This record gives sequence, C-alpha cells and structure tokens, in this order.
Amino acid sequence: MLKTICTFVGLLLVIASHVANAQKSTVYASVVSTKLFIVGAPNPQTGLFYQRPDDDTTWQHTGRNNIRAFGFDVLASSNGQILCIASGNGVHQSFDGGRTWKITTGWRITEVLSATINPYKQEVLYCTTPYGVFKSMDGGRSWHEKNKGLGALFTPALLIDPRNSDSLFCATEDGVYRSANAGESWQRTGLNVGGVRTLAQHPTDSNILFAGTEDHGIYATWNGGKYWEKMEAGIDHSTFYTIVFDPTNPQMMYAGGYVTGVYKSTDGGRSWRRANDGLTNLNVHSIAVDPTNGQRIYAATMFGGVFRSDNGGTSWRYAGLHGSQVWTIKVLPF
Amino acid sequence: MKSVKRVTVFLILLASTTAAQSDRATYLKEFRQRVEHIKHVYDTSQASGFYQAAVRYALRKNVRQADSMFVEALRVPRGDMFWMFPVIGTYLNGREVMSAETKAVVRNAWKTYAPYRGDTENHWAMYYASLFLAAEQWPNLPGSEWYNGKSSDENREEAKEYLFDWARITTTIGQGEFDSPDYFAEYAISTILLAQYAQDPQVRQLGKMLTEYIFADFAVEHLDGQYLGGFSRIYQPAVYKPLLSTASAFAWLYFGTGEPTSSGWIVLPALSGYELPEIIYTIAIDRSKPYVHKERKRVRNVIRYGKEKNPPVYKYTYVTKNYGLGSLHGGILQPIQQHTWGVRYTYGRPYTAIFGLHPYWSGMELGMFFPEEVKTLIADVVASKGTYNNPDKWTSASPFERTFQHKNTLIVLYDIAPGTTAEHINGFFPRNLQERIVDESGWIVCKAGDTYVGWYPLQEYEWKEEFENPANRLNDVGRPVLEREKETGNWRLRSHKLQNGYVVEVRSKDEIGSFERFRAELKKRIPKSTLAPGHVAVEYTTLGGDNMQFRFPEDRKLNGVAVDLSRTKLFDGPYLQADVGSQRLTMTYRNKKRVLDFKTLTISE
Repeated sequence: MLKTICTFVGLLLVIASHVANAQKSTVYASVVSTKLFIVGAPNPQTGLFYQRPDDDTTWQHTGRNNIRAFGFDVLASSNGQILCIASGNGVHQSFDGGRTWKITTGWRITEVLSATINPYKQEVLYCTTPYGVFKSMDGGRSWHEKNKGLGALFTPALLIDPRNSDSLFCATEDGVYRSANAGESWQRTGLNVGGVRTLAQHPTDSNILFAGTEDHGIYATWNGGKYWEKMEAGIDHSTFYTIVFDPTNPQMMYAGGYVTGVYKSTDGGRSWRRANDGLTNLNVHSIAVDPTNGQRIYAATMFGGVFRSDNGGTSWRYAGLHGSQVWTIKVLPF
Repeated sequence: MKSVKRVTVFLILLASTTAAQSDRATYLKEFRQRVEHIKHVYDTSQASGFYQAAVRYALRKNVRQADSMFVEALRVPRGDMFWMFPVIGTYLNGREVMSAETKAVVRNAWKTYAPYRGDTENHWAMYYASLFLAAEQWPNLPGSEWYNGKSSDENREEAKEYLFDWARITTTIGQGEFDSPDYFAEYAISTILLAQYAQDPQVRQLGKMLTEYIFADFAVEHLDGQYLGGFSRIYQPAVYKPLLSTASAFAWLYFGTGEPTSSGWIVLPALSGYELPEIIYTIAIDRSKPYVHKERKRVRNVIRYGKEKNPPVYKYTYVTKNYGLGSLHGGILQPIQQHTWGVRYTYGRPYTAIFGLHPYWSGMELGMFFPEEVKTLIADVVASKGTYNNPDKWTSASPFERTFQHKNTLIVLYDIAPGTTAEHINGFFPRNLQERIVDESGWIVCKAGDTYVGWYPLQEYEWKEEFENPANRLNDVGRPVLEREKETGNWRLRSHKLQNGYVVEVRSKDEIGSFERFRAELKKRIPKSTLAPGHVAVEYTTLGGDNMQFRFPEDRKLNGVAVDLSRTKLFDGPYLQADVGSQRLTMTYRNKKRVLDFKTLTISE
C-alpha cells in the first residue's frame, strides 16, 4: 500500500515537474470594434486583450479602452514587458508589461494599422498606416516617414526578416514592396496585383513569402519576391486577410479572409483545404499558431470574437470576445 | 461754398456712422437677449448635465448645485471628443468658483478617461481644441497625469501644431468636411472656446480668426436660418427640414434668423461672451440683391482607390431673398452623407427644400476614406449611419452624378453603371408645396410661396408618396434606422433609367412675375438630350437666355464657351474673396472690409 502511495505521489511530482517546465504561452488579441461600436457613443470595451491559456482562458484587458486597436506587437524576449499597439489614435507603447502606456506618435500619424518592434534592436519600431510607413529609431520618442519608393501609401502590414532585420517587406495597395536598408527606400517586388492585405514569411527560408490580397487570392514567391505564383489548388475564395506558418512545422500553414473560414495547407502552401468544423463566423481576419504547441490554433473573426482549435484546425470552439472585430491575434512563448 | 460741402459730407458720414453704430447696438442688444434666453433655459433645468452646471457657474448662482451636477455628469465618462469640449467648457466657466473637490474630480477625469481622437475633421477639431485648453489649465504635469501618457507640454504643443496645420490646409485648399449644417456646431464650439479661453495669444488669435472664417463661410450661404447649397455632410431629416440642423441654432443666436431654440450646442458659445463682427452678420442677413457665390473645398483624405489625396470640390450657389439654389460639381466628394444639390426657400417651414440624388453605396466608396476592410465596411457604417445602404435614403454621394449650374438654373446628369446600388434616382418634393403640377410639356412646376421651382425630368419616372416610417425599421445589425420622427406625405420622384437627368429652374415672383407666367415660360423651353450609355448629354437655354451644354461627366459649356472649374477660387462672390493657396480671406460689405490673413495671423479692416 505504502509502495503504491509512494509511486502515485512520485508520479504526481513527475507530472507537476513536467508541467512546471513546459513552456507556457500568452495569447494577445486586438479588438478594433464590436457590432455596436460608434464613435462618441457608450461603447463596449475594446483595445488589447490577453489570456494565458495554460492558466486561465479569461480575457484580460490592458491599455486604454476604445482606441480602435488594429495591430500590436510584443517583444517576446522581454517576456511581455515591451508592447506596442497600433490604433486609430496612434502607437501606444508600454515598457512595463502594460501597467502604464503612452501614445508616442503625434497628430501626423493616425489610423495605425500595424506596429512592429525589431526583435534585435528594441529601440527600432515601424508602424504602417493609410499614409505609409513610419519608423522610430529611439524607442518611440520620434517617428519619421519612410515612404521613399512606395507606389501607394495604404500599407496594412509590414514584416521584418527574422534573419536580417534590415530586410523588410510591406503589403500595400500597389503590391508588395521590399526594403534592403531598414525602410530607407523601397522597391516593388514582382507581384502584379494590388490590394495586398497580409504577408507571411517562412520561419527558416527568407525567400519564401505568401501574400493575401483583396479579390485576388493568395500569391507565393520562392525567390524573395522576384516572381510570384498564384496559389489555386483547393482555394475557392479571393479575399485573404491572414496567412501564417506553423512555427513548429512550416509545412503547416493557415489562411483566412472574407467568408473563407480557415484554410489549411499541409504541404507548405502548395495546396489548401478548408478546416471550419465548429467555426461559426467565417470572416477570419487573423490566425495564430501557438509556438509551444502547433496543434493549438486561434482564429480571430470580424464581429464574431475568437475561436480556438486544439487539433490543428480539425475542429474549432468559441473562445471569447463576443461580437468583437478582432483585427490581430498572436501567441507568444512566455 | 467749399466749407458748406465739407460740412455736408461730414454730416453724411456722421449720420451713416451713427446709423451703423445704432444698428450694431441694436444687434448686440438683441443678441444678448438671446444669450439670456439660453442661460435662463439651462439655469432653470434640474437635469445633471454639463450645460446646466456651466450656466450656473457662469452666473455664479447655485454653485454648489453646479458642483454636484458637474461631478454627476463626470461619473461615467463617455463620448470621446464629444465629452472633451463640454468638460473643458464647463470647467472654464466654473474654475474660479467650483470646489476643490470638484476640481479634483475634473482633473482626475483627464487622467483616467481616454477619449478616442476620432476619424473625421470635426472630431479632431474638438479633440485638439479641448486638449489644448485642458493642457493650459493643468500645466507642467507629467505624462502619468494624462490619459495618453503625454505631459502637459507635449499635449499642448501637439494640439497647437495640429490646430495651426488645420488652419493652414483649410485656408489653402479648403475645408474637407465643408459646409456641413449638422457639423457646423462642432467647429464653431471648438474655435469659439479657443478664441475666448486660450491663454496662448497665438492660439487665441487663431481661434478668433477661424471662428470668423467658418461663420463667414456660413453667412454667405445663409437664408432665413438655413445653410444653402451642397454640403459635405447632413443627416436625415435635416436635409429636408433644414432648421433641424445645428447650424440653424447658431444662425438664431448669431444672425437672429430662423427659429428660437434652446439647443445645447449653443450653450458654451453663448456663455463665452463671443460676439460676431458686424460685417459677418450683415453678410448673413442682407438679401437685398441676388448674387452668385462660388467656392472651392477639398475632398476629405482619400486613402485608397484614388490618385489624389484631396481632390478639389467645386461649389456654386445662387442666393436671393426668397431662395437659394446650390450645387457641388458631383461625384464622390465625401462619403455617406453628401448633399450634392438643393434648392431651399423661405416659405413653408419645416419642409423648405427640393433636391435630387442617386442613392449610391459601396464598400469601395467607404474604402476610399476608411481603413477597415472593404468587404465589411458597409455593415460597420450602417451600425451608426443606418440609412447608408437604403435605396430610399436622402443623402448620398455618387460616382454617377454630375451637375452644371448657372445662376438659378441647374442641370444634373447621371450615367449609372448597370448593377450599381441603386439602379434609380430620387427626387424630393415636400408635402407642403402650394402647387406641384405636372405640365403636359413635361415640366413639373412647383410653387412655394414666392418661390417657383421647375423640374424637367429627362426620363420617365413615377411618384411615390412617403407613408413609410423608417424609424420602425431595423438595419443590418438590428438597430433602428436613424430617423428622428415619422415623416409622411412627402413626394418621391423615382426614375429607373440608368442614363438620366433633369433640368431645374428656380425663380421668384420678383424675378419673373406670376406663377402662371413661370409655367408658360418653361413650356417654351424643352431640353434636348442624348441618353445612351457613355453618352449622356443635354442642351438647354435657360429662362435667362443662356445656353448650357453639358455632357457627362465634365464637359460643360456656357454660351458655347467651356467652363473651367479648376479656376474656381476658395471663395468668389460679392462678399467673400480668397485665392487658392493664399491663406487670406477678404470680407467685403458695402464700404466695409475685413481681411483675415492666416500667414501673419492678423485681422485688418
């Protein structure tokens, strides 16, 4: 009997130790508005929310309410201490995990659609707006327009090459542009369609990028943007707002857009199939794969809140933020 | 003999000066009576609102009650920039008498409640004007004491920089959210508060000059309390019941026209002590001679689907003592609530307007101006502007509509692409017209007191009497369509032809004599039109004898000479003159002149 008890206690300790050592994750979601949002009206809470799904799936709010939060970034290496939100009011920054915030942009920067922190130089930030790209090199104290070479200024997204932080790509109304000098100038890539809404870069091969567009479907390049190929296999829709790689297995990809639900690819984006079981809102604006568990996927919908899958998209269940237009969702490994 | 002449001239000048002083004295006496009326209404109201508190503070009466009202109004902050200006306005009226506890509550509100800056020009005017004044009231505070994390200095400097840049662009290429009867208040309150309360002398002067600028802009297109012409933004039902617009409340307070009101929008201006310069209200009320007034404005920022960020808007208005006919040149100049053209008159309140439109809506139109996703923008907008995707709506911009106006004659043409929302055009004819006759010539001939309106439809149409009550309908997200009250009995002209148009003639009894004569003259003038896809054109000789040729979209000829709208000045008429890029507005009335020079920030006479 004692032996059994000891064995059981020992097993519990092993499990507890395993759980304690397992990497946890934090999910962040930015809510632009809800079904009932009106400027100047008594609106439901919007802005940046987070949850730690291993501990508690309740969404917590951080930062200011009612700011039309489109995008955000969290510096993973700071364990969530350094954050920025891209909002209608500008870029909000926090350096203490969200306890205090400051809008670091002035009146010239507005309707900020994305904000990105250079993971290697945390004092370097970018934000994209309908008026182009802006950059700060001093942690947000000053911002400078970086639009040289851009053919159209409406810029929904920007990404930093994780292997070369001087290499940037941005999605614009006039296609995809690349900068080799940290935004000082931009060159148009070979994509000949406009209305680019989102970009995704392969986690280990910088030459592989995917672009989601308004009305033109998904395009992929295997050579850093020289040539783009339209992805047709299995795709029945034309407007895509989000494309992501599973960071734990880049052959796995997910995409979503207007009435698309979630599309999944298991061959690195060459072919796709829909994976919508349980997803009751098919307008998907952002998808995130948990970097600590590739089976756990989040889909952020437009006016339908967040959905979660624990089996790589095979099935989905509602995960909160009812009625919200969730613009961006990310999962960070801390 | 010479000395007699000199004495005579001196006496005439003295008499005219005395008369002017007397006129000004009378105006000011009546203005102050209207101010007292407003004060009385809010002083006797027991509701716990900002304005009730502000009036009590201003009167130094029931100050402790005002404190309670103010604190209660601040208990659950909401409204963003619509919260900011009444809070700072109330505070400025009461700061010298309110309790320390109340002051602390007000101060704390600016730390804990984070107003959204908004996405329209009027939002920003309110936001930055209020923020500037608040930052002046609480100087030298660190960012931790403000909702946005910026220090008092940072907030004050940012607000000042924006306000000056807004003035620069407005006086250079025109206002973007221009001539809005329903948003006039937001600008007027913002600039009056700056003019009266800013401590920074530059901002105070800027506020004063901007106030005069927007009031002059209104005055020259004002008739009997109504804003005239085409507008960037107006709501239903103010589009057909013009005195419902907030601009009319300001017309009553500052011009003495329209109808008495106790609108909350004029409380803070009334308390501020601001008095309009004489030249502006005389421009607003002197309708002794008809005149043409032209303006150039700008389209609000186009963020996609366009090559130009702020394309020009050309506005043409003909003003008489009985009516005003005005138009924008057409196309998408402002999303959602554009009023492209209309005739408004002095007879028959509250329905004092006739106008037409193509009720258009699209994600692309919204995507031109809003950054959210095009595919879902319509649902997003309908949540607050419930009529946007309604084919019966009475405000709309359309890419398929263009106008050509010469004096009191207007031609409107449409070349609507098949499959467009919606595939018809609408005309509004109020129920209280004295006559609405469909003449055998094709002219629809209307009488509204001494104003006569002729409308010649170029295509077949139908009449529909409006018995529907839109307030009972729900929009796509289950909210009531925004209508303020039930409307019945007005007449809708609807034509389903995609290549379409009409000619509108407006005259008054003074101009043409009897209504019968007006009708008889119209019968002699039948427009010649070509109405084929890609070729919509009309030729017409006006009642005044001018030949107008108009081919959709932009080919306009008057008496054989091409009309070049691109030469339109910011303001061009007998009372207001301003060149594009000048940052200088010259107001003229008889022998008086007043110049606003925004480059030097000076006013000269």
